[in-house]
Amino acid sequence: MTDQPDPTDSTDPSGSSEADGSVPRGTVSIPAEIELPDLLDFYERQTAEHTQIHEFYENLDDGRLTTTRCRECGETHYPPRIVCPECTSDDLEYVDLPHEGELFAFSESRGGTPLGYHDTSPFVVAIVDLGEIKLSARIDDARYDDLEIGDPVSLKIVDIDDGTDRERVFYRFVPRGDAQ
Amino acid sequence: MTRNVAIVGGGQTSWGDRDASWKDLVQEGGKATFDAVPDIGPEDIEGLFVGAVQPERFAFQSHVAPMVAELLGIDVTEMIARTELACASGQAALRYAWLAIAAGQLDTALVLGVEKMNLGKAQMPEMQASMSNVLDREFDGVNGLSAPPFFAWYAQRHMHEHGTTREQLSQVAAKNKSNAAKTDFAQFQREIDPADVEESPEIAPPLHLYDCSGITDGASGVIVMSEEKAREVTDTPAWITGSGQSSMAGNSVNNLPSYDGWPQAREASQNAYEQAGIEDPLAEIDVAEVHDCFSISEIIEYEELGFVERGEGGQFIEDGRSHIDGDVAVNPRGGLLGCGHPLGATGVSQALEITQQFQGTVSSDRQVEDATTGLIHNLSGSASVHSVMTLGRDPQ
Repeated sequence: MTDQPDPTDSTDPSGSSEADGSVPRGTVSIPAEIELPDLLDFYERQTAEHTQIHEFYENLDDGRLTTTRCRECGETHYPPRIVCPECTSDDLEYVDLPHEGELFAFSESRGGTPLGYHDTSPFVVAIVDLGEIKLSARIDDARYDDLEIGDPVSLKIVDIDDGTDRERVFYRFVPRGDAQ
Repeated sequence: MTRNVAIVGGGQTSWGDRDASWKDLVQEGGKATFDAVPDIGPEDIEGLFVGAVQPERFAFQSHVAPMVAELLGIDVTEMIARTELACASGQAALRYAWLAIAAGQLDTALVLGVEKMNLGKAQMPEMQASMSNVLDREFDGVNGLSAPPFFAWYAQRHMHEHGTTREQLSQVAAKNKSNAAKTDFAQFQREIDPADVEESPEIAPPLHLYDCSGITDGASGVIVMSEEKAREVTDTPAWITGSGQSSMAGNSVNNLPSYDGWPQAREASQNAYEQAGIEDPLAEIDVAEVHDCFSISEIIEYEELGFVERGEGGQFIEDGRSHIDGDVAVNPRGGLLGCGHPLGATGVSQALEITQQFQGTVSSDRQVEDATTGLIHNLSGSASVHSVMTLGRDPQ
């Protein structure tokens, strides 16, 4: 992260032509780098003042992967919701999801990788089958060539260090070493 | 709907890594379109529909439809809109124009699709980040998920479920890139063999670089008119005979209806076929421009568009049935794999190809013999939406 100089304008404020008749010329400075604005990073603003699914992130911070279930129709959602897309009820509760699942599909990002991730390439990204739901996730500590469909994986929680004192979390999965 | 609607013609810029700004592309594409339809000028356009996906990130410009109107000298009197439906934005713009004309709101529209994507090597990761945001950014894009690994999952699942082979993926890529060598505006102009595909770098296994469509700058335009006006301009327009779309309340990974197929494409195409009176798509469709953003996509589309049974798409290409001289010519233009994929322009260019196939004005080595019935197909985002339009040399 760099300090951001304020844009400055050194153009002659009088705007008058030079004595020799040439057009006056000045310099406008803009920063070569800016801090990554938090609306342009991939992680959601996770607190109650920003999102009504903050409980999902609070549970994750406590080591629990959860999602919403509708008390009216019983539908389990993923991602978590504030209104049930099945019955439009807003009477939802948070329920625990399994912390262990299976690889349903996977690949390895080796090129064309997005900003914020390109310097960690290659990395494995997969569909993890948790039974009631499937979700996409990074698979840490693994290479594509070592994996197979159906391999067991387990939850890992990552703290997001964005250089500020803000605390955010997300989840990844890792191959389950004890599954032999 | 009470009125027949036709595409009378159009034009496009050359596509590729262009030394040109977003505004340059708009002007080049507009000029190419009006030059190709000399009876129609900016003064005739009542409705303007602009397909553009991410000008906010790629050109730092929003509210782009009035910018296109200004750059091309169009006084819009009836309807002006920009459509954003990720990779299907061009077809969405065309669909709006069709509906507006069919409903009697206007008689003459310009549909222009445009995207500026090559921003320099240093900016490529930022461009890719913007692309990842067509997925659910909070729960899918956040995992560094981009298009290549997403479609690699579908390739892996299709191989796992149906026995599709790596060689069959290569055959799709080789067909389309080789077809593009016959297309003067295309980004890739070199014939390749299936073996070349597997020798290209693995971007997201099992997909290699040549299994992926390009990062492309380009613009394409078509003039769309009511039957009464179209007949004043040309005897051989392409009539829009059907149009369908489907999404199934699923956009994020958990909520997609399938991971080795696209039932949305089946539903969208069945809706379009019903409108067009098409009962046997394989027998009746002569030329199809389908969304081969990745080689696996085209194999799945053979199945979901009804050319072959589910799971048999790999055999369909292996048997050569989708070549220009096959049962149905799929992507004679070269597809997204060969022409490149300037997001907002792709659907418009596909429709222009079908029009020019009917009019017999494409390069003779990619001309489909006696083409009278055509189709365009786009998927968008996490393949969560599928859009299909049928075109005919005769109105319904």
